[in-house]
Amino acid sequence: MASMVANGNRDGQSLVLKGVDPETCMIVFKNHWAQVVKILEKHDPLRSSSNLPSLSVINLSAGSSGGTRFGPIPGDEASAVQNYVEHMLFLLMEEECGQAGAMGPILEFVVMENVMERLFVWSLRREFTDDMKLEQLKMYEMLVGQAHQPLLHHKPILRPLMMLLSSCSGTAMSQVEAELVLLLNQLCCVLAKDPSILELFFHTSEDQGATNFLIFSLLIPFIHREGTVGQQARDALLLIMSLSAENERVAKHVAENTFFCPVLATGLSGLYSSLPTKLEVPNEEWHCLHKEDWLQMPSLVQFLNSLEFCNAVIQVAHPDIRNQLVAYIYNGFLVPVLAPALHKLTLEEVMTTTAYLDLFLRSVSEPALLQTFLSFILLHQHDNVHILDTLVSRINTPFQLGTVSLALFRTLIGLYCEDVMLQLILRYLIPCNHMMLSQRRVVRERDCYSVSAAKILALTPSCCSPDHSPPPLRQLDSILFSKGAETPNSNGNDTKESKSFLEEGDGSGNSCTIGSEIYLDVSYLHYLYDARMSISSCIRACQVWSAAYDGEDPPPEKFQPGVLEDPGLKSRQTQVALKRVPQPLVPRPRPCPPPSTDLPSIPQLELEWDDSYDACPVQTAESPVESKPLQPPVEPPQHIQEMRKTAIMLVKGSYIEENEFQDDVMVYDLVAKKDSRDVELAKLKSKTPESEETQTDSAEVPLKNGLSLTLPTSLMPENSKSSSGTKAKGQTDCNSNLQNNTTTTTAAAELGDDLLAQYEELIRTLDTEAGGKQFKTDGELKKPAIPLAEEDEEEEEMDFTSFSAETPEPEKLHSPFGKFCSGSAGRSQSVPFTGPFVSVLLSRMENMLSNSLHVNLLLTGILAQLAAYPQPLLRSFLLNTNLVFQPTVRSLYQVLATVKHQIEELAASRKDFPELITAAQHWLLARETSFMAADKSGSRHSTHGEAGRLLRSSPTPKPKAISLDRTDVFATVLFTEFLKEMAAIAQEHSILSYIPMEE
Amino acid sequence: MNLNPFWSMSANTSRKQRSDEEQSGQGEPRSSPARLPFGKKQLPPIPKNATPITKPASTGTPVQSANGTHASYGPFYLEYSLLAEFTLVIKQKLPGIYVQPSYKSALMWFGVIFIRHGLYQDGVFKFTVYIPDNYPDGECPKLVFDIPVFHPLVDPVSGELDVRRAFTKWRRNHNHIWQVLMYARTIFYKINTTEPLNPEAAVLYEKDVHLFKSKVVDSVKLCNSHLFDQPKIDDPYAISFSPWNPAVHEEAKERMFTYKRRPEDHHKGTHVSGLSWVKPGSTQPFSKEDGPPQS
Repeated sequence: MASMVANGNRDGQSLVLKGVDPETCMIVFKNHWAQVVKILEKHDPLRSSSNLPSLSVINLSAGSSGGTRFGPIPGDEASAVQNYVEHMLFLLMEEECGQAGAMGPILEFVVMENVMERLFVWSLRREFTDDMKLEQLKMYEMLVGQAHQPLLHHKPILRPLMMLLSSCSGTAMSQVEAELVLLLNQLCCVLAKDPSILELFFHTSEDQGATNFLIFSLLIPFIHREGTVGQQARDALLLIMSLSAENERVAKHVAENTFFCPVLATGLSGLYSSLPTKLEVPNEEWHCLHKEDWLQMPSLVQFLNSLEFCNAVIQVAHPDIRNQLVAYIYNGFLVPVLAPALHKLTLEEVMTTTAYLDLFLRSVSEPALLQTFLSFILLHQHDNVHILDTLVSRINTPFQLGTVSLALFRTLIGLYCEDVMLQLILRYLIPCNHMMLSQRRVVRERDCYSVSAAKILALTPSCCSPDHSPPPLRQLDSILFSKGAETPNSNGNDTKESKSFLEEGDGSGNSCTIGSEIYLDVSYLHYLYDARMSISSCIRACQVWSAAYDGEDPPPEKFQPGVLEDPGLKSRQTQVALKRVPQPLVPRPRPCPPPSTDLPSIPQLELEWDDSYDACPVQTAESPVESKPLQPPVEPPQHIQEMRKTAIMLVKGSYIEENEFQDDVMVYDLVAKKDSRDVELAKLKSKTPESEETQTDSAEVPLKNGLSLTLPTSLMPENSKSSSGTKAKGQTDCNSNLQNNTTTTTAAAELGDDLLAQYEELIRTLDTEAGGKQFKTDGELKKPAIPLAEEDEEEEEMDFTSFSAETPEPEKLHSPFGKFCSGSAGRSQSVPFTGPFVSVLLSRMENMLSNSLHVNLLLTGILAQLAAYPQPLLRSFLLNTNLVFQPTVRSLYQVLATVKHQIEELAASRKDFPELITAAQHWLLARETSFMAADKSGSRHSTHGEAGRLLRSSPTPKPKAISLDRTDVFATVLFTEFLKEMAAIAQEHSILSYIPMEE
Repeated sequence: MNLNPFWSMSANTSRKQRSDEEQSGQGEPRSSPARLPFGKKQLPPIPKNATPITKPASTGTPVQSANGTHASYGPFYLEYSLLAEFTLVIKQKLPGIYVQPSYKSALMWFGVIFIRHGLYQDGVFKFTVYIPDNYPDGECPKLVFDIPVFHPLVDPVSGELDVRRAFTKWRRNHNHIWQVLMYARTIFYKINTTEPLNPEAAVLYEKDVHLFKSKVVDSVKLCNSHLFDQPKIDDPYAISFSPWNPAVHEEAKERMFTYKRRPEDHHKGTHVSGLSWVKPGSTQPFSKEDGPPQS
């Protein structure tokens, strides 16, 4: 019937038709139809004329399989009909609207005579093969797409179309699928242009008794499909989604009667499960997935397509749909899939998941979806530990995981999100405990005379003073490791100062030229320019924040120790949970980490700033007696040794000055004691959980939680389904059901049982339709929850066995970090503490000299990012060198001073140091230049990829005469540049933060 | 005209200080600024250690004196100190005072002051502020009127205003350039005749106010008659006046009046926006009431 479409002779015909008068066309059309009717009636057993009461009774599926019904139709008759119909369709398509939008005569005839429906019945009567469907689909596609007058308003045209569509559901042939999706896409376009037809679509399908909104339901199975078909389907769905924003009915239908949101969300889980669990890391400096990387991974591309689609849906859809989708993503993907994936057993797996999470965060732009991801990171607890705390603790892992985690935090900080910054840093600064009481007013003070900048720059190691650099490197501007913005435009008024610097005194009259005789570090101008850019965009972004964080708002008194543990939080979380479909609620852990309850409580200040590295606060000299019998321990596994080494290094680095720990032995002892205490604890836990339960309430919580957590989680997919069922009957309070007893849970599940069954059915069909490849059924979806339970046990065991002489297993390394429990909420505020994130950053910073270049680039990048934030609390903490902190609080300036000291010592002990510095500068210079060139050709990267530009896995220049292993040398160069960067930021703050934005 | 109470207080105290110093005989020799040859001023080299002197309390940091590093950045510190001063001036919104740093040096600011009532009503006085290059540790800035206004505190030859009587010692962190500007405005509203730079004006004011007044009117007329002169100092950012020319000024005026709405529109266009779900008054993440999360 539609073979002419394939033959492509349509254009020729339309040319012929031009200028032919409408009456002639009408006569031709009627003639053709008369011929067709003759043949049709010859084979119609009922011999009815235009009315077809039988139609609605016809079983379509039987029609497609049943073959001929009323005796064979001769081939010549069939082709005759086809020829006539072709011509008729052309005439219909080319017909113009009548007067004032009335139907043209041909269309009117088609409607009156019910032409399309009769033709459809005719094709059913013949063998309704896939080829036939294809032809019919093409026919309609052409009609819908090219007719000059609106056709879909007319039931006699719409009805057969809908029947055709429903007969195509569940079709197997890929060409039919492609054509079907194309037609659906076209229908959606028409709908988007003319929403008035929408009503008809609903009505028509009601007549049929099928699902309400057929074109929508038909599209759902293609949501996650690869290639053009998937793309077209997603585009079409998006059109409907934006329609839903204005049309309550569509929104309601999609949210309540379809599986759109669950399919989308669980689809993410399915696609995620097909991602590689371990990434091939190209080189040591690799730290995040760039576009070049993921374009090489089809499964990741597919996942990102679906994620992007979710993002787009959330952007355009009705709030009901948006909220539902977001809830399903949280409960159907993030919690059951991503959370366990972040806690896998090997470093590589965890590293890979972290890189994925980072990529996802960078791919998502819709605030609502970002909120979902962020609340997962900030509030969700896995094994009683907030995801955030786990992520923070991993920054200190010595392997690639640490680097990738740093990159993740760079992304997080670059979001300018108040909630993130609050949890990471600001909550620890609000009470102002980190500074002397008298210093609070200093927080808001303005550094009018660049005092801080001067102090920071005064830390420049003598070997790196610009005066010592050889001529070509004196300007150093190309070593600028951040931003790489264009040099300040010499005409811009921004650079007034730069000009006055560079200009020689003209010696005339009253003009006062500054510093004309002094060599100026030109690169510093670039830093100033970059600082200006980043601070002003940060100030702009932070205008949406709720508070100024200036030491007064929020008031420090309100958040003194104890009060910080806001009782509202729990109810808050409940609310959040309620909003996002039932999820198992976990009782909040006690503020005190369990281990400290059964050991003498200790002042935590000594090691407070790097204890985030260890699982628990490290004990001081008074050792618990009971740990003695365990010593000396068997040679600990390698990862413990590694940890110790790092720990000792940290402690040495930070405490030599204070003379608190004078020998390594003592520190070693500390670590060992901590380890043995862990063992003991594990023993306690595994042996007598009951006694402990009765004794110490707090210790019991995590254990019990661990169990109660795993159980409901394994039920999760069902629960969320049940909720979708019950949701239709109003928002349920499944939450409490879930929390307490399973009977209510099952009751709730039963409520939504039939919908549940339908859902499962749907998923199953999807599974087969998608080639059985992409979709996991419920059973499989539950999977991630099961290893969770196992993992839990394993961890318990691991702590216990970690001292038995065993072959070192790197994967065990994660357990101490996973159990990191001085959680953000858990720490008592009485001891000045600037938070685990700051601690871990500073402790890594202090190790600059032994960090690889790439780690240092990330570290300094993050610190510079943080320093650009305008909030006085943060700004004063990082940049104000005049602020007097509590003795136990470590400031960035102190850390930088320590590093400088290390560098000076190093430089003094090595004769060839200056040469090495020069070589490193040359190397970095060449590297920068090559990136600049690459950047110019390629597109600009994301906003928060400054250091990343240097780190991208593109070819690096061959190191000349210096090996990258000389981390100390590279760190020295970087350190010097970082000082400039920070000083420039401090200087710009003194200007920018005080210009009222409104004026 | 609303005088800033803070400043008038500090002006008073400084005046008191001065008289105290005089009594104790420590008053600095007041050299007539006219004798200070600005043009031939030799720029002293930037001190080796250009680190701004910090409070004596903050010790303990290894101060590297005689390290070239510091000197290299000295100009940056100075420049930013002056920029900070300038933003302070903007913030003060001093009535009738406009200043603009010169193109060539941040140490020289051009200004103009409009007197709206009192003896000097309708006066439009252009002036230049010279800031010492060891700012903020040096002496107080100088303020020189382009045309010596007839006023007891303005040198009749050089046009320099006696600023030092208000700021006997320039104290960093306490004294700011906006205070100097404010002072320059105040002298036209509240005449002080003690130790005048222009004794004639002082005596007249005391003995013959009428003659003083007429001299002032003449002086204002003289100044205003030179309003459209080329700026004394050739600098792209020097303040110059020209008669109203609709072709040039109408559009600028238009823009000045519509400017207020612009910044908001501006950053709506740029898509740098932060995120927050923190309820005001809370320190809990995601504490905002339900409803569409907003950016």
